Amino acid sequence: MAVKTYLQAISDALRDEMRRDKRVFVIGEDVGVYGGAFKVTKDFQQEFGPWRVIDAPLSETAIVGGCTGAAIMGMRPVAEMQFADFISCAWDHLVTVAAKQHYRAGTAVPIVVRLPSGGGFSGGPFHSQNPESSFAHIPGLKIACPATPADAKGLLLSAIEDPNPVLYFEHKHLYRRIKDEVPDERYTIPFGEARIHREGDDVTLVTWGAMVYTADEAAKQLEDELSVEIIDLRTIAPWDRETVLESVAKTSKALVLHEDTQTAGFGAEIMATIMEEAFEDLDAPVKRVTAPDTPVPFAPPLEKWFLPQVEDVVAGLKDLAEY
Amino acid sequence: MATQTAVDVVMPQMGVSVSEGTITKWLKAEGEEVAADESLLEISTDKVDTEVPSPASGVLTQILVPEGETVEVGTKLAVISPEGGGEAVEEPPEPATQQAAEESADASGAEGETPTAGKVEEPPPPPSPEPAAETPAPAATPEPDGDGDGQGRSFVSPVVARIASEHDVDVGQIEGSGRGGRVTKKDILAFVEQGGAKAAPEAPPAPAAPAAPQTPAAEPARAAVPAQAQAEKVEPAAGETVEPMTPMRKGIAEHMRRSLDTSAHVTTTFEVDLSKVVAIRQKLKREYEERHGVKLTYLAFIARATLDAIAKWPWMNAEIRGESIVTKSYVNLGIAVALEGGKGLIVPVVKHAEEKNLLGLARAVEEIADRARNKKLMPDDVQGGTFTITNPGGFGAIHGTPIISQPQVAILDVEAMVKRPVVIQDDAGSDVIAIRPMMNLCLAYDHRLIDGAYAAQFMRDLRTNLQTWDESAY
Amino acid sequence: MAIAREAEPVSSIKETKEAGLDREDLLGIYRNLILTRGIEERGHILYKQGKIPGSFYTGRGNEAAAVGVATAMRPEDVGTPLHRDMGVHVVRGVEPWRMFAQFMGRVDGPTRGRDGNVHMADDRLGLIAMVSHLPAMLPVAVGAALAFRIREEKRVAVGWFGEGASARGDTHESMNMAGVRRLPVVFVCDNNQWAYSTPTHLEFACETVADRAQAYGFEGVVVDGTDVLAVYREAKRALENAREGGGPTLIECLTLRMEGHAVHDDAFYVPKEMFEEWAKRDPLERFRTWLRENADFTDQEEGEISEQVKKLLNDAIRKADESPLPEPDGEVDAVYATPEELETPHHK
Repeated sequence: MAVKTYLQAISDALRDEMRRDKRVFVIGEDVGVYGGAFKVTKDFQQEFGPWRVIDAPLSETAIVGGCTGAAIMGMRPVAEMQFADFISCAWDHLVTVAAKQHYRAGTAVPIVVRLPSGGGFSGGPFHSQNPESSFAHIPGLKIACPATPADAKGLLLSAIEDPNPVLYFEHKHLYRRIKDEVPDERYTIPFGEARIHREGDDVTLVTWGAMVYTADEAAKQLEDELSVEIIDLRTIAPWDRETVLESVAKTSKALVLHEDTQTAGFGAEIMATIMEEAFEDLDAPVKRVTAPDTPVPFAPPLEKWFLPQVEDVVAGLKDLAEY
Repeated sequence: MATQTAVDVVMPQMGVSVSEGTITKWLKAEGEEVAADESLLEISTDKVDTEVPSPASGVLTQILVPEGETVEVGTKLAVISPEGGGEAVEEPPEPATQQAAEESADASGAEGETPTAGKVEEPPPPPSPEPAAETPAPAATPEPDGDGDGQGRSFVSPVVARIASEHDVDVGQIEGSGRGGRVTKKDILAFVEQGGAKAAPEAPPAPAAPAAPQTPAAEPARAAVPAQAQAEKVEPAAGETVEPMTPMRKGIAEHMRRSLDTSAHVTTTFEVDLSKVVAIRQKLKREYEERHGVKLTYLAFIARATLDAIAKWPWMNAEIRGESIVTKSYVNLGIAVALEGGKGLIVPVVKHAEEKNLLGLARAVEEIADRARNKKLMPDDVQGGTFTITNPGGFGAIHGTPIISQPQVAILDVEAMVKRPVVIQDDAGSDVIAIRPMMNLCLAYDHRLIDGAYAAQFMRDLRTNLQTWDESAY
Repeated sequence: MAIAREAEPVSSIKETKEAGLDREDLLGIYRNLILTRGIEERGHILYKQGKIPGSFYTGRGNEAAAVGVATAMRPEDVGTPLHRDMGVHVVRGVEPWRMFAQFMGRVDGPTRGRDGNVHMADDRLGLIAMVSHLPAMLPVAVGAALAFRIREEKRVAVGWFGEGASARGDTHESMNMAGVRRLPVVFVCDNNQWAYSTPTHLEFACETVADRAQAYGFEGVVVDGTDVLAVYREAKRALENAREGGGPTLIECLTLRMEGHAVHDDAFYVPKEMFEEWAKRDPLERFRTWLRENADFTDQEEGEISEQVKKLLNDAIRKADESPLPEPDGEVDAVYATPEELETPHHK
C-alpha cells in the first residue's frame, strides 16, 4: 500500500503494465520527450524507448485510428489525447470504425484512449469538457471515469485488458489534488460496478469523476440533518444500474450530479432508468444537478457559475429532503 | 504604478493541473521598496520554476510564507503597501462569491482567499424546518409548508401509494411532513409501525389467500371519518393478553358496524342444483387448463350466472345516494378473499365483469386471486365495486347472513356444495329421489331499496341460469 | 530535396518602395513589432502575478511573420490568426487594452470572459476568432474565400496554421479544395519548428511544409520569418495573386518558438544552441538594424516610438484592470444567435 496522487497512480499503473506486457505501448502528442502535457508519462521514453512511447504528429485521427490498426494486429495501444476535448478530432474514426468493428466483423479492437477531462482552472471551452455522454450513446464503446487513485489504477488495467475500445477519462482537476492509498499489487476493477462512496438512508446521490468530492463535501455539510448515500459509478458504459436501483429502493429519493452540461448529459439516462425501473419506490421526482447548457466559460466567475458547486448540491439535496 | 491601498501577492497557477507551488527564494526582504513588475520571489512547481513579478510598486510590508514552504495556488504570499504608509492594511480578499466574504477570521493569515482556486467554506446551512414528528398527534389538518402550492396534501407519491396499499392504510388519515403537507414515505412508515394511532382508516387491504370469509372486506371509505379520541392503553389483567388492532382490523370493524347501521339487512336463501354445472365443468376443465392455462372454478359459473341475473334485475347493482337511486350500466364484481391467519379480508374487483364470458371470468378471478396472494394489488383493484360475491363454502357452511359492502345494496354468499337426496320428476312425471350436488346461495340485500319480491325473483333467475346452463352461450 | 521556392531577403529601401511601403509605413511596422512584443511581455508578467487565469501563450520570435503578413493585407481582406500571431491583431487595429482584458477574462475583452487566451477577434477588423483544435480555422478561411469568389469580390482570406497542425486532415482538405477551385486564399504556415515538444521531423516527412503546395496545384514559398520585409513582400505577392484570380499560395514563415509552448512550459527539450542561434535573428533587432542602416532611423525616433508604446501599454493595463470580471448574466441566452446578429460586417 502506498499513498499516491491520482496522477501518480495512473502513471505507475501504466508503467507497471508496460513492464509486464510488451504489447502495451503509448502514443500521443508530446508523450515521449516531454513526458506528456500533464507529465503522466514522465521518463517513460527513457525506460521503454521511442517505439513504445511514441511522439505522434498533431493528428488525432491518425493516433486513434492507428491504435485500432495496431490493436487488431495484436498490440495493446494506449493513446493519450492531450485534452479530452480533442477527441472530437477523432470522433469519426472512433464512432465509425472502432466502435462498430466487432459488431460487423467480429473483430475485437482492444484500444484505450486516455482523456484528461474536466474543468475548474480557467481552461476555457476547449480544455475543460466532459464529453462522456456523447460516447455513451454509441454502442461498442466503453467508458471509465475514476475518481480515486485506487480506482484509477484498477480501471486503467481493466481498460487495457478489455477487448473493446475504452475511453478512459482522467479528471485533470484530480491529478495532483487527490492523494490516497493505492494497493501495490496488480488488480483490476470490473466495468459496470459502482462504489458506494458514502452510505446513507435518506437520499441517493449518483455521480462520478471529480463531482464525487463535491458531493462528499455537500453530504458532510448536511450530515446532521440528512443521511446521504453517495454512489460513485466509476464507469459510464456499462454502468451499475443494480446498485443505483437498490439504493433508490432504500431511500426513495434520488439526485444525479454531473459536471457535464444538462441536456442529454448522462444523468438523463440514469433518471430515465430510475423512472422506468423504480417508479414505485420514489417518494419524490428524481433531481439532477449539472452544468448549464453552455460551452465551458473562461473567466473565473463564469466558470464558477458553470461548474456545479458544493452549495448547488447542498441546495439540491435539501430540496429533495423537504419534498 | 504605486499602490494606494495594500496589494496582495499570490501564488500563481503555472499550468492547468498545477495545484501548489514552493517558495524557493525571496528576492526582496520585508521593508524593502519594490517596483511594479520587479521580480519579488522565485517559485518552483511541478511544471516549471519561475520568478514572480511584483503586482505593484510600494513597500514589501509583509512576507506571509517563508522560503521552503509549499502552498496552494492562490495563497497570499505577501503584502505590498503604499510607499510611506505605516501599517499594512489588509485588504479584504476578493470574494469570488458572497460566501467568501463570510470566511471566518482564522482563514486569514497563512492560507488566504483565492481568486482562482481553492475551496470556499460554506456558512452553516440555515436550520431547516423540522419535519413534523411522527407522533400520533390528533391534529386534523397538517401544517401548511412554505411551498404552499396546495398540491402537497393530496398528492400521493408512488412509494407511499404502494405502502398504503400493502398495509391497508388511508393516506388521508396521516399527517404529512413533506412540502405542502404531503405524506412522505417516512410519515407512512412511521404510521404503520405505530399501528396508526389515528382514526381508523379504511382502504385497500393487504394481500390474501383465497378462503372463506364470513363477511366482506371494506372498501375505501368515502365518507369522512370522524376523528376519534386516542385509543386508551389497555392493561392486561391476569389470564389476558392484549394486542393492538392492526389498521386493517380497525377498518373492518368500523365498516361492518357502519354497514349494519346504514342498510336494512334482509337475507334470503335459495337451493341450487348444480348438476348441470358440474357436468359442464368436468367437460371444460381440461381444455381450459391446457389451452388457456386457466383453472375453471364453480365461482366462475356462479359469477356469470349472477351477472345475467343482474342484467334483468339492475337494482341489485345500484346505490343509494341521499334520496336518489343510482343504477349502473356496468358491474364491477367484487370477489371476497380472506387473509391468512385471520388477519382480515380483501375484496378485489373485476371491473366491467358483465363484458366477460366464462373463460374471461375464470381468468379474471384466477388472476386477481393470484395478485392478491402475491401482494400485487393496487388501490384501484379494490375500489369501485358494485356487487360482491363472497365464498365461504370451502369450510362447509350451508347458510350465512353476510353484511353488505357499502355503498352497495346486495351481497351473495356462496355456501358449500353438498350431495343431497332430492325429489325430482322422472320422464314419466313421477316423483323419484335422486342424488344431486346442491348448493345454497344466500343473498343479503338492502331493504331500503330492494323489496323481498325483487330479491326473490333475482335469485330465482340466478338459480335458473345455473340449473339450465347454456353451454353455447358462453 | 525541397520543391518550394525560397524567398529572398529585402535589401534596400528602394525595394520596399517598389513593394509599396514608404518611410512612414516602415516606422509604423517597427512600432507594431514593438507593440506586439510589448503586449506579450506584459501579459507574461500579468500571468505570473496571478492576474491571468488559465494558461498564457506567446508568439515570441514570430512577430515579424505576423506583422509582415498583416501589413500586406487590405482592410477588406479577412483572416484567421492563431496564438502566435498577436501581430496580426495589432496591425489590424485591435486596442491593446481590449487584449489585456481578454487575457484577464474581463467583461471588456472581446469574448466577455467566455473564452481566454487569444481565442478572440474583432470582427470589425475582419478577423475570425480561433479555437484550440487546430487547424480547424483553415476550412473557415477557405470558406470565406469561397464567398468572395462566388460574389466576385476582390477580397482575400488568409488562413494561419502551425507546422504541427499541418499533420491534421483539415489542412489537406482545405488546401485541396482551395486549389481545385482556385480560391482567393493565402495559407500562412507559422513554422516555429516545435509543436509543443514535438520537432518538425516528427510532424512531416517532406523537407518543408511549403513543398506540399505543389501537390495541391499552387505555389509554395519558404520565407525567413524573422525578416519582416521579406515576409511582407511575399505576402503582398500572394495576396495580389489571389485577388486577381490566381488562386492560393502557401507561405511558410520559418522562425523559432523562442519560449515554451505556453508559460508553464520551459522548453527543456529545445537544444540550447537553437535558442542561441535564433536569438541572434530576433525579428525586432533585425528590423531595427535594417532601419538604421537603410532608412536613417534615428535615436530620437526610436526613443519616441518606445515611449509611446510604453505609455500605451501602461494605460492599456490600467484600463483593462478596471474592467470588471463578468457576472454569469445571460450565459445561456448567449449560446444561440438572434436574427439581428446577421447584420455584422462579416455577414454583409
